[in-house]
This record gives sequence, C-alpha cells and structure tokens, in this order.
Amino acid sequence: MPGSGPSPRSPRASAVCGALLGAGALALALWAYGSPDRGPAPPAAPPADPLPRTAVEVSPGACGRGWSRPRPGLQAFALHNTSGTAAEVRLQDARSGAVYGETEDVAPGTTRVLRARLGKGTYAFVCLHDDADAVTGPTVRIAEGGGSGPAAVPVTSRDLIPPALDYQRRIARRLDDLVARTAALRTAVDSGDRAAARRTWLAAHLAYARMGAAYGAFGAAADAVDRTTAGLPGGVHDRHFTGFHRIEYGLWHDTDAPGLRHAAHRLAADVRTLRETWRHTRMDPADLGRRAHEILEDTERFELTGRTDYGSGTGLATARANLDGTDEALDRLRPLLRTRYPGLPALDRSLARTRHTLDRQRRGGTWPPPARLPRARRERLAADIGDALERLASVAAVCDVRRAA
Amino acid sequence: MRRPAVTPLHRRGFLRGAAAGLGTAAGLGTAAAADVADRAPLTAVPFHGKHQAAVLTPPARATVLAALDVTAADRAELADLLRTLTRRARFLTDGGMPPPAGITAPPPDSGILGPRVPGEDAVRITLSAGASLFDDRYGLAPHAPRLLRTMPAFPDDDLDPAWCHGDLALQLCADNTDTVLHALRDLTRHTRGGMQIRWRLDGFTGPPRPTGTPRNLFGFKDGIANPDVRDARLMRRLVWTDTGGSHLVVRLIRMHVEFWDRVTLAEQERMLGRSRDTGAPLDGDHETDTPRYAHDPTGEVIPLDSHIRLAAPRTPDTDGQQLLRRSYSYDRGVDAGGNLDMGLLFCCYQRDPERQFAAVQKRLAGEPLADYVTPFGGGYFFTLPGVRDGADWYGRALLEGVSGP
Repeated sequence: MPGSGPSPRSPRASAVCGALLGAGALALALWAYGSPDRGPAPPAAPPADPLPRTAVEVSPGACGRGWSRPRPGLQAFALHNTSGTAAEVRLQDARSGAVYGETEDVAPGTTRVLRARLGKGTYAFVCLHDDADAVTGPTVRIAEGGGSGPAAVPVTSRDLIPPALDYQRRIARRLDDLVARTAALRTAVDSGDRAAARRTWLAAHLAYARMGAAYGAFGAAADAVDRTTAGLPGGVHDRHFTGFHRIEYGLWHDTDAPGLRHAAHRLAADVRTLRETWRHTRMDPADLGRRAHEILEDTERFELTGRTDYGSGTGLATARANLDGTDEALDRLRPLLRTRYPGLPALDRSLARTRHTLDRQRRGGTWPPPARLPRARRERLAADIGDALERLASVAAVCDVRRAA
Repeated sequence: MRRPAVTPLHRRGFLRGAAAGLGTAAGLGTAAAADVADRAPLTAVPFHGKHQAAVLTPPARATVLAALDVTAADRAELADLLRTLTRRARFLTDGGMPPPAGITAPPPDSGILGPRVPGEDAVRITLSAGASLFDDRYGLAPHAPRLLRTMPAFPDDDLDPAWCHGDLALQLCADNTDTVLHALRDLTRHTRGGMQIRWRLDGFTGPPRPTGTPRNLFGFKDGIANPDVRDARLMRRLVWTDTGGSHLVVRLIRMHVEFWDRVTLAEQERMLGRSRDTGAPLDGDHETDTPRYAHDPTGEVIPLDSHIRLAAPRTPDTDGQQLLRRSYSYDRGVDAGGNLDMGLLFCCYQRDPERQFAAVQKRLAGEPLADYVTPFGGGYFFTLPGVRDGADWYGRALLEGVSGP
C-alpha cells in the first residue's frame, strides 16, 4: 500500500477538519445573532428534522439543565453552550456509562443537535469542558418505552495504551525481519539473478504488507519504502520514485541495472531508518482502531484495482498479507471490543471468509493478477472485502479515543 | 437525398446491399394508445402492494439502472439479501429519520438528502431478477419464471458482455439526481457482501420541450404512444403476470448523434414517421393523433419502414404486442474516437417478452434507423411481485416455495 499522503484520519487531517468546523460554527453564530458575544439565547433555527426536541444547557454549573420532561423514543436535544469554553457533550446511561450519543466541540454560545433513541432506563448528560473536570448532569429516568439505540462505554487512552504498546513491540520484531529481507533483496539484485530477486522481492514486500497497520505511524519514512508514482511528475522514471514499487518496476521491466541496484540499496537503507524511527516513536494509541479498519481500505482501493501493480501482478498476495496485518491490529483490540461491539463475531466470520476466498485464488504457489480474475471470482472477492470493511468501520468508531469522564 | 423517397432501402443498407441488420431500438417511438396524461405527477407511491408500484409511475427526471450479481454463498444468504433490500427500500420509499448510531458506528446515512430522508419526491425502486439467478447456485431452477430467458443478441446488436445481463436489476427513479444516488449508496452499503454491481447506467428525462412528451437525444419526442396505465384491465393484459410480477427488458442503445445531426430533417422524420417539431405522426397535427395507416397503404406519407409504423402497425394481430415503455436518455462521456457517447437507456415492461418486445424487435429488423444506433448491452429480467406488507419481502414466495440444496 502506498504511504503517500496523509491517511484520511491522520492527526493532521483531523486538525484541519476541526479548524474548518470551528470556523463553520463561528460563521453560524455570527449569522444567528450578529456577534458571538452579544445577546441572550439565539433565536431557534428551524429544526432540520421533525423530532421532538428538548433544549439542554451545557455549562460546568448547569450541565444537562432543561431536560425536565423525559420521553422515550427517537428524539433530538438542542445543546446550548452557555459557558465561555468549548465542551464535548455526551448522553450516557446513568448506570453503565454507555454512551448513546456525543457531540464534540460545542463552541461557546452555540447550539448543536444530538439525536438519540432512548428506551426505559436512566440517563444523564456529561459535559466535558476544555481544561476542566467532567461534570455529570442530573439523572433522568424514562419510565417506559421500547429499546434504546446502540451505545458503548467510551474507550480512553488508558484502555488503549497497553494494546498499543504490545502492538508496537510486535511491529518492532517484524521490522527486524524486514531489515533482513530487504538486505537479502539487495544482495539478490546485486547478483543479477532476476528470478531469485523477484522471489526475494515478493517475500520482503509481503513482510511489509503484513505490518500494514503501522504505515500511518511511519510518516515520511514509509513513503520512501512503499510509495507509488502518484505525485511524481516523471512517473516511473522520476528520481523520487523509490521503494518496493520502484524495484518491482525494475524487476518486471527491462530497465537499467544500475538504477535498479541503486533502488535496492536505497530500500535496504530506508528500512533500517524505519526501524530506528520506530524505536524512538511512540505510536498514538488512537491509531490502532483506525489501522484495523484502514489497512483493508487501502487493499480495496489500491490492490484490487491494480493501482499498486508495477508489473509483478501480486496484488492478491499483498491483499492476503494485509488481511494478516488487519488481524494483528484487531487482535490487540479484542478485549475492548468484546463488551462494546456486538458485531464482533460477525466481523470475525467476514474476515475468515475473505481469507478463505483469497486463499482459493492461489494456484500452484502463484496468484493471478486481480485484473485477470474471472468476473465471478472478482465479484466474490470484492463482496467479501466490502463486507469486512463495513464491519471494520465500527471498530474504528468504537476505538476512537475519548476523554475519561 | 440520402434515401429514395419510397424505397425501403436506407443509406448503408443500400451500399451494403440487402445485408441490412435486424432489430434495433424499439424504444424510439413505438406502440399504441396515446397517453400524455401518463406524465401527470403522482403523489406518494406506496411501497406495499400487489405489484411494485414504480413499474407504472411515469419516467422520473433521473434514474440509475444497476445490474447486480449475487455473491451470497447459499440460499439462506440470498434470502437475507432480499430481506435487507426490502427493509432498505421500504425506508427509502417512506422516508424518515435514520436511527442514530451514537459512538458505535459511522453515521448510518450518507446525509446527502439532509438529516431526514424525505418522503416527498422519494426514490421509486424496482427490483427484478435475471435468468442467471435461477441457475444451480441457489436451487431456484425449478422456480424460474416460465417466460424468463437470457436476452439474445439480435442481429444488429453489438453486445459487450461487460454490459449485459445480471442476477438482479435494480432501478431507482426520482426527480432529483441526489435522490437516486442516495438510494444507490444506501442499498449497496447494506448489501456489500451479498451482491456486487455488474454494470450500471444512469439516465435522465428532460422536461417537455416545449410541451407534451419529453424528447430523446435525436430531438424527437419519445414514448408518445404508451398504453394507459390507469386502465387496470389493460395492464393485466399487457404488463402484469399472473403472480403480480412483470417482465423488464433493458436495452442500452448508443445513439450516433454526430451522424444523426448530419442527416436532413426530412430524412430523419421519414425514418421515425413523426414530425420532429410537434411529435405528430406525419399524417397528423398533434402528437396525440393516431396515424391512419389504412389511408396510406403504400407509405406515401408515413413510410412503410418508418420506426413507428414497423413498431406499432396498429393492426388487430399486433394489438397484444404493446409495451409499457419507460425509457431514459443517457450520457457517459466520449468514445475512443472522440464522439459523444450518449443514447437511450431503453426500458419496457410487459407480460411476455417474446410475444411483445421480441416480436416488435423482429419487425424492426432492417429499419432505416438501425444505421444510427448501436445496442451494446442490456438484459431480460423478471420484475418481482410487489411486497405485500411489513412481513413480506422481495421474492419471498419464490424462495419459500423452494426445497432445494
């Protein structure tokens, strides 16, 4: 998978999104009552939905005030922040702490809508103002009603640090292996034995694909190791085209041997750098859930479409290795998911099925290029990976790091 | 003049001798019983009923036609797929608030129609099954609709296998493009593992220009003569099967518009048999006028080989061949030669595709119009009976009546 560009949920992208949302909220506030600081409560904007609506105050002193007439069913809460600091607001089960809905970044003076389906039970709002302790509002009891919407106890960074550390150690071991494999690749390329070099290349590339979960955390170092020609004006001849796919291009096309040797030496060096970087990097625990989801997103986008195929036709082997990489990240999260994600068994079945489908494509030790799969087999594979992705999306959502309340 | 006034030989037919092709666009202005009121906007189209309601509704402004292949592993999974499709289609047709997922999953709806899926101008959905669904995969062979066949290649067709057939055909219609795309995303998202899109063509209907029946991309009013959908007895005779289903024929017909635009108006009108300006048959003044072929036995006014005359001779023995046409225009960019790739997404419903569509198609063999169009894809499908109530689902009778593998 290519390491170029930030992953959709990289910290950088989130920061930008946050800034944009903030600006939007500010613009809305200006539109609503002229200035963010002036005036009492803003006139209510016309609701975007026909749901029963309850106005609820967000502030350290009066969190949850206004929810005086509890009712069951699908409903909306208009959360108005009367304080001077932005807040995150949660609606949770008063007993278990399972969260039915959250709204991040309710800016001072603004109103945000939170929708939830609530059944019989006890509930409370929690207001988490910036730089302040969480405040839990009054407990509200709904005496009757049907089932509530889905809820989960938030995952905090404390929950995620042990699995992330474990994961980091595993990746460190895999990097040792990768260093050895890319050194072997360098030797094989130097020897001029193309058949041996191709075999060594595949083994090394799959070793990399198996640690897929870590690519976002590697940053620019991963870019050099596994980039495509995207963004390179000179395409495959661009001098910045480096890494596995540059070598793949050289090994499966008749290109200049010195260039290929240079690329193999460079890759071995870059992977050693990667290992060094990894030793001194502390992986963001929040990355674990995202990676469990996004490895296969990359597989679907780049391997199944052949985008990352520079001649070897081994996209399905990469996909299979990516699946192992997904398992590796997911396994670390299992203890957290078991109580939070009822769809976990179905996800496991879906991943097992994808594994089985991929393994069946392998004939006589080789994998057909995805583009040459007969239609029915291609559709089956796309269906399996698509199904797994829909289920993995919840893993990332549930394992998003949330503040401890 | 490209075409002698009265001989049935047309340009390329003339040049190539008598090897003129058979069968083309039955959609370019066929059939009987004029019904412009057919276009009166319908209000709410109920989801439940004996038939799928969207069969009879007038063509909408926008459509998506997607042929899908089922990837379900067995009959139980196929039933799951059909139940899921029913559940989603019911929601999309009725509209409503998507249930909040809280912190457990990404938002359940794409949001492109706003926070609430509107029930007004809701999408109209039709689900049909192709002959391939009744192969040995799901043990459905003994239950195949009696008249369902795989679409044959008619002599003038230039079929691309990538654009033909499919286990299912899903048609989404609405007066706004975002509505149909919203539905497409919703339905595919919820069925990722169970089916995959095989091919897809989007279509549109222009507004009346300036009045009456909308025009196709040859500039002619298309679909003027359609049986009256308000006549229940006529619909039973022409459209519905005894089980409450119907047969859908889809033909993807490229229209060579550059070539067409280089043909004189007189020749164009003689090929169609109608006036381009008014849509009136060449022996009439208004589009609703019925051509009087008996007064013109030699084709002096409306040529014997004109499209409307071949397609619907208005004789007692062809009376039962009428089709309910539901065609759209399509536009999909540019071909390899630099010509505009646009044409007709021809759809028609009938009780018996052999007796109706194929009979008309065979009669159109060698019509002059054939030189200006190329059918390149499509398929024959059985439109499932309607979903009767909240407990029913698409194809239930079909699957529950089965005791196969």
